[in-house]
Amino acid sequence: MSQRLPKFPFLGRLLMQLPSPLGVLPLIAVLIVWQILQKGNSPYFPPPSAWWSGIVQSAATGKLLPACLASLQTILVGMVLATAAGVMLGVLIGLSRRTARALGPLLEFCRAMPPPAIVPLAILFLGYDERMKLTIVVISAMWPILLNTASAIQRIHPILLDVATSFHLSFYERIRFVAIPSVMPSILLGVRIALPLTIVLTLLVEILTSIEGVGALMITAQRNFQSGQLYGLLVLVGLFGFFLNTVFSMIQAIILRRWPPRSIPA
Amino acid sequence: MSDPVFECRSASVTLSLSGGARPIISDINLDIQQAEFLSIVGPSGTGKTTLLRMLGGLLHPTSGEVRVNGAILTGPPEGVVIVFQDYANALLQWRTVAANVAFGIERKLPAKECTDRVNAALDLVGLSRRAEDYPWQLSGGMQQRVQIARALALRPAVMLMDEPFAALDAMTKAGLQDELLRLRDQTRTSFVFITHDIEEAVYLGDRVAVLKGSPGRIEDIVKIELPSLRDQISTRQMPEFLAYRYGLHKAIGHG
Amino acid sequence: MADQARRSGINWAGLAVLLALLVVWEASVRFGLIAFEFVPAPSSIAAGAIRLSREGILFTDLLHTLMSIAMGWGIAMVIGISIGLLLGFSSIARKFGLASVEILRPMPGIAFAPLGLLLFGFSLQTELVVTVLPTIWPVMINTMGGVANIHPRLTDVGQTLRLSPTEIVRHLLLPAALPSIIVGARISLSLALVMAIVAEIVGNPAGLGYGIVREQQAMNPDLMFAYIAVVGILGIVLNAGVLAVTTVLWPASTRSMA
Repeated sequence: MSQRLPKFPFLGRLLMQLPSPLGVLPLIAVLIVWQILQKGNSPYFPPPSAWWSGIVQSAATGKLLPACLASLQTILVGMVLATAAGVMLGVLIGLSRRTARALGPLLEFCRAMPPPAIVPLAILFLGYDERMKLTIVVISAMWPILLNTASAIQRIHPILLDVATSFHLSFYERIRFVAIPSVMPSILLGVRIALPLTIVLTLLVEILTSIEGVGALMITAQRNFQSGQLYGLLVLVGLFGFFLNTVFSMIQAIILRRWPPRSIPA
Repeated sequence: MSDPVFECRSASVTLSLSGGARPIISDINLDIQQAEFLSIVGPSGTGKTTLLRMLGGLLHPTSGEVRVNGAILTGPPEGVVIVFQDYANALLQWRTVAANVAFGIERKLPAKECTDRVNAALDLVGLSRRAEDYPWQLSGGMQQRVQIARALALRPAVMLMDEPFAALDAMTKAGLQDELLRLRDQTRTSFVFITHDIEEAVYLGDRVAVLKGSPGRIEDIVKIELPSLRDQISTRQMPEFLAYRYGLHKAIGHG
Repeated sequence: MADQARRSGINWAGLAVLLALLVVWEASVRFGLIAFEFVPAPSSIAAGAIRLSREGILFTDLLHTLMSIAMGWGIAMVIGISIGLLLGFSSIARKFGLASVEILRPMPGIAFAPLGLLLFGFSLQTELVVTVLPTIWPVMINTMGGVANIHPRLTDVGQTLRLSPTEIVRHLLLPAALPSIIVGARISLSLALVMAIVAEIVGNPAGLGYGIVREQQAMNPDLMFAYIAVVGILGIVLNAGVLAVTTVLWPASTRSMA
């Protein structure tokens, strides 16, 4: 019979999945042991204290903050543009079974193409600048969103489309009120797959071309054998990834609190 | 007799399926009066759902015509609404119960009137207290009530129902059957109710049409003369009820 | 979409679109509609690919990339499955380890490229560092999830049939977790390809990834496109190959692969 589910606070589903905070102990232990065993300033495995001083040093030169902001900006703007483009194209392709089938092999080829392979191509066409960085990020991150959206659109139950027809929805209303909301969990799954991809590509382009960003700082630190700073930047990038991932999970949980739990792909 | 709300004149539907064109229903003639409850029974494979989709304007008759209030039907007509069997897929799972009920009217009516109608419809099906819940938080019977409320909010002249209670347990089903009869009396809506359950057809119907064969045809239309106030226990035990049941089983070809 | 294609045989419409695209591309380059010096016609890309394979470079590069993928993926599988099983079977390991995994997991793999370069220079070791580290996660998480989501009833079944604990693990729990492990292994493999290409672009001057950069810097767009096409085809072949192998070996596992 009817079961009244508790009204979760809006992050309820997310919080329930969080692992025990005790789980960070091994990580902390490794860092402490590393610090104790590595007294001197090794060129290869500097102690965590040297990571910190490396970061402080980098911040003092005034290069760290702008680099972080530049990378973050590319990632966020890239994500937004990729999501918009991926959803729009995915809906258009998914709406027609024939179009989806005709474009199938082409889309499969584009999906199978490892995104880093097109980086040299983009450099050749667009040159070394911000625009190129963003273009690469958007083009690569768009695919998982596009493909997830298109295949979810095709899986919309025919009854739901009958409902839309019998309630006299226009083409635009069908997309806005029926199609997009019903594939929302799949869209967000696509975005979730795309997010790490944007981070990787942003850093890759920065490492390859030394366009301003954290990746460029890392490769400079490596070339100058500033190993402490390199490790520090590595941690920073890890925190970046962790932070963006967590923020996205929260956004996802807030948006999807209205969808049935079973419809949310893991 | 007054003019019928809904009429079919020798309507047929042929669908092109893999393997060529196949006639699904053929030469359908039906009249539905205001506030009438017409049950349509038939075994599976006789085109019950096709017939209902045609009445709802989701399918065009290949020949013949369907009229609503005298006008030939070309698409989903105003004043006619379908209640699907598969409530889980027919509801917008991401909208609250109230927002689902508003779905058919929110783009046409001012907000105030829309809210009033939603509240009235929820009241009619007894779900006012669950207005802010999501469909996936409700039982199957309640979800089907949401779908009925969504249809009622449109104040339809005709409600088309495609085996709406087939997926529900017996107790829930009996409750909803009585609720439908009460709604018919309160709102003067006409019902076309498709089912494969002969008892259900007799219990609810003023008339029962028998759909049979392939392509499906209306074999017979039986007028049900039972007291208009039906009761789950006493009505179902009346000799007349049993006689109708027996006759319809015969007509369909059981036993 | 792949399912649909398989169900109804060859997707002629799709192949026609691909072919039409190539013809249009060829024609617009020939008739000068694309006035861009870097865009070679498909025919010259094909000619470039043939030249590269005659010289034997393409094959050497392909072999190198395949070997790096196999090594990187193999190492990642061993590490990922072991830790995944540990985390899946032991709730203590989950309590005192899962959060560390969750913190390390979003670390972008590319960030290890400068570290690899610092430690090993431009070398295969650098390529393996970049390939292995990010590739561990999908297989680890799926192994853990596969084990943790086994219905407890299965252990009851084993006990009532008088199986020993090792037999329960070997004959009931591991087979039950297998589909999920295979899904993880597949995701890891496609990631290994991506990371091997990344590593060859930044960290190890060998293989297909380096081929793309080399030809870009040498201003040979036809050869660069040829390398990119080979990388794309490799991606498709790897994915289809793993799917075919798993379908044959474990038919049940493909059902859970979305």
